[in-house]
Amino acid sequence: MLRLIFSRLLQGVFVLLIISLLIFALLAAAGGDAVSALDNSRISEETRKTLRRIDGLDRPLRERYWNWVTEAARGNLGHSLVLHVPVWRLIRLPLLRTGVLAAAALSIAWLVALTLGIAAARRAGSWIDRLCSVIILLAASTPRLVLALLALALIASTPLFNVVGPTTDSATEVWSIRVIPSAIILSAPLVALFLAQTRAAIREALDEEFVRAARAKGVPEWAVLLRHTLRPAAGPLITTSGFSLGGVMSGSVVVEKVMGWPGLGQLTVSAVETRDIPLLLGVTLVASAAVMAGNLVADILQRLNNPRLR
Amino acid sequence: MENRSWRRRLRKLHGRGSLMAGASVIALFCLVALFAEPFAPYAYSSQSSLEPMAPPTPIRFRDAQGRWRARPFIYARRLVDPSTQRYEEITDRAYPLELFTRGSSYELLWLFQANLHLFGVRAAGAEAPRVHLLGADKFGRDRFSRLLIATRYSLLMGPIAAVIASALGVLIGVIAGYKGGGIDIVLMRAADVVMALPALVLILAVRATFPPGLPPDVAVKLALTVFIFLGWAEMARLARGLTKELYQRKYVEAAVSLGCSPARLIVRHILLNAALPLTTQALLILPIFLLAETALSFLGVGLQEPEASWGSLLTAVDSNLFKRGHVFAELSPALAITLFVLGVRLIADGLEKKKREREEREVSSSYPLTSPRTGGSS
Repeated sequence: MLRLIFSRLLQGVFVLLIISLLIFALLAAAGGDAVSALDNSRISEETRKTLRRIDGLDRPLRERYWNWVTEAARGNLGHSLVLHVPVWRLIRLPLLRTGVLAAAALSIAWLVALTLGIAAARRAGSWIDRLCSVIILLAASTPRLVLALLALALIASTPLFNVVGPTTDSATEVWSIRVIPSAIILSAPLVALFLAQTRAAIREALDEEFVRAARAKGVPEWAVLLRHTLRPAAGPLITTSGFSLGGVMSGSVVVEKVMGWPGLGQLTVSAVETRDIPLLLGVTLVASAAVMAGNLVADILQRLNNPRLR
Repeated sequence: MENRSWRRRLRKLHGRGSLMAGASVIALFCLVALFAEPFAPYAYSSQSSLEPMAPPTPIRFRDAQGRWRARPFIYARRLVDPSTQRYEEITDRAYPLELFTRGSSYELLWLFQANLHLFGVRAAGAEAPRVHLLGADKFGRDRFSRLLIATRYSLLMGPIAAVIASALGVLIGVIAGYKGGGIDIVLMRAADVVMALPALVLILAVRATFPPGLPPDVAVKLALTVFIFLGWAEMARLARGLTKELYQRKYVEAAVSLGCSPARLIVRHILLNAALPLTTQALLILPIFLLAETALSFLGVGLQEPEASWGSLLTAVDSNLFKRGHVFAELSPALAITLFVLGVRLIADGLEKKKREREEREVSSSYPLTSPRTGGSS
């Protein structure tokens, strides 16, 4: 287990280095920076040069990258060039909020997948089974952007808007109830994926020898379902959850922007709009690191669930 | 005997059903993409100051005096209340609609000039009102026309990116599966890492390192490159798994012992048999590329004005939508996206059923199925 964690950490650092190198390299190729993004024509060339000197933007790219990497290794992600606050301070709360959003979305997906999946697998061909098929098709096909816009349009005219609607207040509580509509929307493709997998896995597990043995022993049906079919079904579900984290992070960009949940996704969008390179680098790295950490957790859980893999 | 046969036929039709339905939907979209200009009453970029942010034009058969007319017609409208975008019809003059109007000129199928449009206002002069099936945007451009032309761009970006990324993925996967050993481990680790990355965040970051006002073809190439860099992994894993599995089959062993060259082996025996599951998987990931492009355009870093993509058409939507009243008109690009993705999924589902049927046949027969094209010989 420890070997896994160690190798993953090494891999993670390697990947983050590559990503940051890539972005810096693109900067070199593209030219232009936060100062050139200020398109107020009244800023003179002199002022721009001074601004660049103050922010250290006129140093050669290799030097800037080296400085950035050494600082980042110490935990200092630099200063936002646009907002003039430390990058980490800008990222901290939105990171937590997106974490809450992702956790909520995953929980919803797990809940729906397990309850509906078990019910549908037990009675193949029943109305529950067919309902699940329809849900899977619709949830997988409807883009989250569409769902978010629909949800927004729906709650816009109701009093619900003030409670769970978009917020521009950056002091929103991390655990705010406003996360619920965003979480529901974000979970849609996950629900489709998890439901399909669970239904198939449980259907297969119910045919297994050990289920028949347990039933013959007189074990009550609910115990059979829980103890004997859940474990084999949970395994692939954990793996899929791990793989879906990248998609959740990507999806959160659009969902947060539309639904107004001030998380990492929204921060990414504003960093892109203002071309705030330190902030963008920080957000990208933190997001990638978070996803990789999530994958690691999923792998650990997988090994805990199935001792054979250890 | 009879019972069993009709049940089997029904099941076959059911599998065929999704395939047919999906294929028809996609075919319809392709048709619209090819003939967007003639189907649309107006050019997608033609602005008009007559009716900015107008709701859909009501098409009437019965005029203000209560008389019924043979031709549908519309009235001119004037803006009554700018804050709520309320329009009022001017009922003194009726403008009849007609099929196959002559309007703005365009290049039909990029081959020759034409100016025939499917429908429009008859004898439309500069003062004639426009028939907006889905209303107009803030520059007075017809939303319906823009929706049709956006089909072209979205249909281009999504599938092209998906095809190239899938091809690359299959190449890498087959190499990994065929060679095995160190190359296999390295390539699959790389695939794992790429699959785990938050794609959209990285795409946005890459896009942001370039100046915002990129010329459109450069922006498109950039977006395509990043999509491909991030999208090859899933296909690679599948291709690698299939290659390894198919390599175990008897006919491959036979072909190798007969001296079949590796290239021929890969193409004729492995790829041909893997074609069905690979295609299904490619179809399943196609919507991801389409939606990534939509998200980019929606966030304003994809296709720029005046070009239209489904994503960029949705940027104007905000929480005042329901108050304005014409929800469907403004959300119509969303419906288009959903229908397209649904169509692709239905095709994938149909192919999946075909694969299962084939596997059932293979299991039930005594011998493993030989390679479908070669009939067992190399």
